[in-house]
Amino acid sequence: MRAKAEIPKGGFNFDNYRRNVFLEKQGLGLPKAIKTGTTIIGIHFKDGIILGADTRSTNDTIVANKNCKKIHYLAPNMYCAGAGTAADTEQSNALISSQLELHRLATGRQSRVITAVAMLKQMLFRYQGHVSAALIIGGYDISGPSLYNVHPHGSSDKLPFVAMGSGSLAAMAILESRWTKDLERDDAIELAKDAIEAGIFNDLGSGSNVDINIIEKDKVEILKNYAKPNERAVKEQSYKYKRGATAYLKEYVREFIVTEGDAMDIS
Amino acid sequence: MEFLIGITGKDFVLTASDTSAARSITVMKSNEDKSCDLNKHNIMLYAGEAGDTVNFAEYIQRNVRLYGIRNGIELTPKAAATFTRKELATSLRSRHPYQVFLLIAGYDITTSSPHLYWIDYLGSSAEVPFAAHGYGAYYCLSILDRYHHPNLTLDEAKGLIKKCIDELNNRFIVNLSDFKIKVTDQDGIREITI
Amino acid sequence: MSILEYNGAAIVAMMGKNCVAIAADKRLGVQLMTVSTNFQKIFPATEKCYIGLAGLATDVQTLTERFRLKINMYKLREEREIEPRTLSHLVSTTLYEKRFSPYFVEPVIAGLDKNNQPFICGMDLIGCRDVPRDFVVSGTASESLLGMCESLWEPDLEPEDLFETISQTVLNAVDRDCLSGWGAVVHVITPERVITRNLKARMD
Repeated sequence: MRAKAEIPKGGFNFDNYRRNVFLEKQGLGLPKAIKTGTTIIGIHFKDGIILGADTRSTNDTIVANKNCKKIHYLAPNMYCAGAGTAADTEQSNALISSQLELHRLATGRQSRVITAVAMLKQMLFRYQGHVSAALIIGGYDISGPSLYNVHPHGSSDKLPFVAMGSGSLAAMAILESRWTKDLERDDAIELAKDAIEAGIFNDLGSGSNVDINIIEKDKVEILKNYAKPNERAVKEQSYKYKRGATAYLKEYVREFIVTEGDAMDIS
Repeated sequence: MEFLIGITGKDFVLTASDTSAARSITVMKSNEDKSCDLNKHNIMLYAGEAGDTVNFAEYIQRNVRLYGIRNGIELTPKAAATFTRKELATSLRSRHPYQVFLLIAGYDITTSSPHLYWIDYLGSSAEVPFAAHGYGAYYCLSILDRYHHPNLTLDEAKGLIKKCIDELNNRFIVNLSDFKIKVTDQDGIREITI
Repeated sequence: MSILEYNGAAIVAMMGKNCVAIAADKRLGVQLMTVSTNFQKIFPATEKCYIGLAGLATDVQTLTERFRLKINMYKLREEREIEPRTLSHLVSTTLYEKRFSPYFVEPVIAGLDKNNQPFICGMDLIGCRDVPRDFVVSGTASESLLGMCESLWEPDLEPEDLFETISQTVLNAVDRDCLSGWGAVVHVITPERVITRNLKARMD
């Protein structure tokens, strides 16, 4: 019998493609992946950049996660908020983040925002929009604070304030009316929060809480769930079932050998 | 319109398949054996796309036999089913996938127990006490569910198969005139009549 | 009908106090015809970590084999057991590799790490990880499972209470789904033992 254990070479693999086309022809619909259906924003303020995001992820019309993380780590001085197909934003960020880490180790220098943007847009352009990641990249490097957005097809803009995702229209309305040059830190955080909340309340694809990241010179502050405008009411009663309520037919118990105390001294 | 059925009993597996080879609306042959012996204690019943079935069955049969010759130990029913499933799942990713439905029945001489595996053309495999493929399955699964039990004797199993065939003759629009019925137990595979 | 609904499945994992539980139904069907009522959908990855796969049965089985290979290779290369969190990344990248020709499965991972901290994780079919602090669901009954989880689950459940909660969640959720049910299996993983129970369920 043939041994067919393959070692993946990296990159996308299309082995299942023919089969999936065949299954589709049998009348079986192809399932959908989780989307972020998002509101994400980025703004310049006096001393740096603020990134903001909501925390809802959706699978069609079902909320897949009520408190997910949409602001991803790229480098110590750089973060990236993602909208679009959740797996795409997460995996492309992870890929670029690891390449940046290797680049830093090779050069011994801090990563630049423009480097990350160039790598991301080149990758996204290569896949012609099929990797559907819409990103806002914010960071503080040798040239000061900078803020970019990258579209799924690989185009990018350098802007003082940006909004993306399905709630971008609502968020942009707030940003357009209140953003000014050299905002104070606290005012900027409030503006970011209000913009995201506009998305949360006016866009059905966005919801739950507000996440904020503040990136300044040699300093990053991560405010997960900075605002929680949709706290769930506390349950008035416990719906706990009594022990022994569930009937079962068979039971197997696998006991572990638990070693107590300090590890054996082997020096 | 093909029909395969398998029932495990106390110490045997009883399998049956229809014997008509049809093309379009014409019956070309009425004594086709839709099974092949993988080795002494394992039998595979096949149905599906004409051409694919025999080709795939022979490919599996020869590889299972080769394994036995090379290693001096025969594949168990579970091993044979796992191998077959993998081949089918791999084939599904090729330009021309095999479209075959399978039942693998066998007697595991190492544990002295009968086994029956249901495998569909997508490469889903499940060990089951009884199984059927084809439109006939819609009629027979309910009968089997009602009357099957783990300690079935050969006579009871024969009666059960007869019940299923009678039901098909009664209700099924297509006339499946004849069936090849085989028993797999510790003595190997043999054909029987009921 | 979607490919994910071809065979039917209901899988759920829940967090407890120093323990986790994962449960699945046992049906294998071909659309509305039930073929098997004893189909395994949860597989042990390590002693204290289990992975459940809901979706197209052939891919469930193919991926089980691939993950078994990868987990064993990890163990040989690293000379240690894989951690649940690491496993979730392994599963995620395995699925994302096939971004444009996916396997039709939605995995659920539940386990305790080396410090016995509970970990659960769900994923979509292209490997978008979801690591919540309460529960994850997957399969054709996922909507009713979510509803049951939202009402029954509460924080810091002891293993025996967690068993009742997850069992009732599954049993009641599959009652509202034609494509899953026909028996269920529950694994409760604690630092001392894994308790596996086959539930008595409705067979309709």
